[in-house]
Amino acid sequence: MGENVGMESQSQFLELSDEDPDTIYEVFEKHGWGDGLPLVAPTDKRVTEMLSGIEASPEEVLTVLPPRGGSATYRSVAVNAVLAGCKPEYFPVVVAAVKALGDQRINLRGVNTTTHPVAPLLIVHGRAVDEFGFNSGLGVFGPGNRANATVGRAIRLILLHIAGAVPGPGDASTQGQPSKYTYCIAENQKENPWDSYPVTIGVNSESALTVHCGENPHNFHDMESENIERILDKAASAMTTFGVNNACISGGEWFVILCPEHAATAFDQGWGREDVSEYLFEKARMPAGRFREQFNLLAWADWMHSLSDDELVPMTQQVENIKVLVSGGAGKHSCVVPSWGMTRSVTVPI
Amino acid sequence: MNMKIHSPEGDLMDEVVELSSTTPLFSGGKIGVLENGKPNADLLLTKIAEGLAGRIDAKFSITTGKGERANAATACNPQVVGMLAEEVQLVLTGSAD
Repeated sequence: MGENVGMESQSQFLELSDEDPDTIYEVFEKHGWGDGLPLVAPTDKRVTEMLSGIEASPEEVLTVLPPRGGSATYRSVAVNAVLAGCKPEYFPVVVAAVKALGDQRINLRGVNTTTHPVAPLLIVHGRAVDEFGFNSGLGVFGPGNRANATVGRAIRLILLHIAGAVPGPGDASTQGQPSKYTYCIAENQKENPWDSYPVTIGVNSESALTVHCGENPHNFHDMESENIERILDKAASAMTTFGVNNACISGGEWFVILCPEHAATAFDQGWGREDVSEYLFEKARMPAGRFREQFNLLAWADWMHSLSDDELVPMTQQVENIKVLVSGGAGKHSCVVPSWGMTRSVTVPI
Repeated sequence: MNMKIHSPEGDLMDEVVELSSTTPLFSGGKIGVLENGKPNADLLLTKIAEGLAGRIDAKFSITTGKGERANAATACNPQVVGMLAEEVQLVLTGSAD
């Protein structure tokens, strides 16, 4: 831990009249801060504890976050992690997520300011899942787990406070979406029949984090089928819709998050995750003419523009844009998470 | 009992970008519009450019898009930027939505 921890002179402080939880609520509302939910007071003691595992100076800048141009330092990130209710041991995951958001491929200015409801989905991989107690099983997208809930919330608070992605002045999202409160899951490696997702894209680290800026999950279920083709036909059905940004932007990514039972069906048939991607690339298609009926502007790859109206167009321009991983618990529900379109997912070591 | 807490916003980035001076140096110059492809962006920005030209003794010159395959959320084609730099002295544009 660096010796600068707790250096009050380098941080802006607010004076509260008392320690009543309602007081911090009121102060934050007055400044236009917070996500509307109760907050943990970021006292110097709590912020210092949050920073206790960090060797770097608390003032070191991790990245600058648009549209506000706020400097995400270890300290300012820690303040928001405290506000969200994170335990100090979660902090490296929050830091990894902030670093990923600073990657130009994310296009965070666009993600934060678009009218689309996009939110960064955090996916935790590897040792960190068990070590910090992330839920990778039943109800993985839902409530009830502190690590998932507070790490996802910390990132939203960082986007609100440091990035300035406040609805209105910094976030033009027409309707928003519930995942703008918190959006963090974990890969279920124990029930994943394949290599961990980061390994498949060349990130070999004990723990890793993927950030994919997308819509809420689009569920698909298949309780009956004993062959993976019939299951994935439902996934393809969920993907072939004109209502998503990925319909008119061919560079968009799709995260296909299979529940363990659906993944097991694929594995038992001898399928790898790349076979799942290839199947969906071939099956999730619609005639070019139907796209042309629906959109005035199609941000398609050149080869797609040359297709005749009768020819089938895939929902993304290359098979590599269909990412497959395993998460969730017992039951036969899986989901697809379409992206905002003009963003690429990023996976970083933790 | 009073309680002291950290501000959640942190500082802004150190880099300070100065705005260029406009009207005093601009009289007699040309104005261009870089529209971002959003519905009616070209109409709105062109109207503003025409109105501005009349007020500051300038000439409205050109309205252009960001280039092939570009859209409101992606960067402008460098050739378009170069063309505008050669053609006009002031560009009106819109960011994202």
